[in-house]
Amino acid sequence: MEPLVLLQVIVGGLLLGGLYALAAAGLNLIFGVMRVINIAHGEFLMLGAYVAFYCWRATKLDPLIAVPVAMLVTGLLGLLVMRVVVRRVMRGTELTSLLATYGLSILLLNVSLYAFEGVFRSVPAWTGSIGFAGLTISRARGIAFVAAIILSLTVWLFLRYTTLGKAIRATAQHADVAMACGIDIQRVYLYTFALGAALAGAAGALLITFLSVNPSIGSTFILRAFAICVIGGLGSFPGALAGGLILGVAESLTALWTNTQIAEAVSYFLLIVVLLVRPQGLLSSTGVAGGAATSPAGTADAGERG
Amino acid sequence: MSLAPAPARLGADTPSARKEERTPQRRWPHRYIILTLLAAVLTLLPLIGSNYLLRYAILILQYVGLALSWNIISGYAGYVSFGHVAFFGLGAYTGAIVMRDLPGLPWPIAIGAGGLLCAAVAWPLGRILLSLRGPYFAIAMLGLAQVLRVIASAWQSFTGGGQGVSLPPQQNLSQVYWSMLFVAVAVLALTIKIDGSRFGLQLVAIREDEPAAEVLGVDTVRAKVHAFILSSIAPGVIGALYAWSISYIDPASAFRGHITITMITMTILGGAGTVWGPVIGAVTLSVVSEELWARSPEFYLATFGGIIMLIAMFLPRGVLPYLRHLARRHRRRAAPTGKREVVAPEKGTARA
Repeated sequence: MEPLVLLQVIVGGLLLGGLYALAAAGLNLIFGVMRVINIAHGEFLMLGAYVAFYCWRATKLDPLIAVPVAMLVTGLLGLLVMRVVVRRVMRGTELTSLLATYGLSILLLNVSLYAFEGVFRSVPAWTGSIGFAGLTISRARGIAFVAAIILSLTVWLFLRYTTLGKAIRATAQHADVAMACGIDIQRVYLYTFALGAALAGAAGALLITFLSVNPSIGSTFILRAFAICVIGGLGSFPGALAGGLILGVAESLTALWTNTQIAEAVSYFLLIVVLLVRPQGLLSSTGVAGGAATSPAGTADAGERG
Repeated sequence: MSLAPAPARLGADTPSARKEERTPQRRWPHRYIILTLLAAVLTLLPLIGSNYLLRYAILILQYVGLALSWNIISGYAGYVSFGHVAFFGLGAYTGAIVMRDLPGLPWPIAIGAGGLLCAAVAWPLGRILLSLRGPYFAIAMLGLAQVLRVIASAWQSFTGGGQGVSLPPQQNLSQVYWSMLFVAVAVLALTIKIDGSRFGLQLVAIREDEPAAEVLGVDTVRAKVHAFILSSIAPGVIGALYAWSISYIDPASAFRGHITITMITMTILGGAGTVWGPVIGAVTLSVVSEELWARSPEFYLATFGGIIMLIAMFLPRGVLPYLRHLARRHRRRAAPTGKREVVAPEKGTARA
């Protein structure tokens, strides 16, 4: 194999991985703060992609401007879902919330199949490619990657330095103590869930610029996002970034050496291997800013049993 | 022993213990006659029913078997599987490939091979996956189903890839029906046997508090893996029967996510961790879904999603336990205190 081809594939994988990381960041944030795994996260991503698509079809709106629109739509939907559904099931066991969000994901998927039809859509806004140090990079992938990284960094800074961000992190570390310190944790939960949903929407709006999207992509992305969170350590924000990049490269290399179908299964094998070998994640959360410098209780549990 | 009260308390929470609270007066007086009649009708259905009715009955029995199987690992042991269709698909492919490559073999062997392979796969798989808890296990199973589908589409030479496996058309629906009836009744009998048995109590203990169960001396790994194997066999057999009756399978139909969704919805609607909950849920939802299919197929699955969500929100224990709870409260209100004391000595004698 020519080294240049290999390098090309690895760079392509990294670019894709940036998007994966953004897709996983919201899931990770919600889990870190609320201990809820939102199975409907993939559907939020899909809805974000469709917002960008309809903006493009109606007004040829640049996807970069469509990203905030998508974030707004999915964020508001997140608020609604949190208020109506998740708030009720949070007090129950972890499995109750899992079942509720699973039901929601099926509901959203099938309503979307009806509303948007099953055909694949894309937003060909940024066509062409850029030459860079002997490599060719698809323009759409490059722009989407940069946007995803900027967005991830913004959220990281937000969590690190703003009052609300600090409140979110405090709640993630210890909800009861945070409450005792005067933090309205119900409000924190509400904003966290909306922010997580908005991040999924943003990832969807960026993805559709270089990937064809139909309503059922949600289920493949929830598996990827979950694998990324586990690889990086559930609840760890930098971990999700690393996990995303690792998965992106692993998928691209597998696609190069075998075929794209098998590449789809890579996230699963990585997930299982990491869960069995290092359940706390490759970058175990060592208290770096992240939505949650929590000790991942769930993962630690899994570790004891493994 | 200071430990003694703990198992007793756990026992009091189990469905079987709740069932024992039912008094003889509450049971149907003619239930044996009714059950015999029902059994007779179910057995003789192929002789009296039309082809359509038979297909419909096969579908209902298929889901009764699937829901009851899911119930063993997810209802009793509390390890919710989001990918049980993996076993259905594995059984479907095994049965179909055995029939394709060894056409001389009697059909029950091919069908049984589906269940056998699932059990053989579930054993090592259970040892690995059941060390993951809660959401990890749920999503690992979701992924397993997807991976098996990918393998089925990619392994052209053996599984026929995207084109699937074709079998000679099925002429004898009655045979399929009786086999499906046999499987459904077998899983029901298995569940009755598990419910309230030592093994069943171990599973419930794992569901309620696994570390505590382990401290009390339950071999949790063994119990979980056994439950997982038991819950994998019937889906495998049912999958093989499905392939045999449809006489064509491909990756999309054998590993359809909506089969998992349906068995979960049915079980938690009726009541997970009970004997009759999955049966009631499967029969009710099969009838409802037939109506939904006929009227608005596009909202069929959306409705199921909504049902799962609403049950998780308002009735996390399912309908059957809720109805029992209502009935108990009603009786307590209706019966004056004196009468309740007459009833009390009957406790525990009503165990079927």
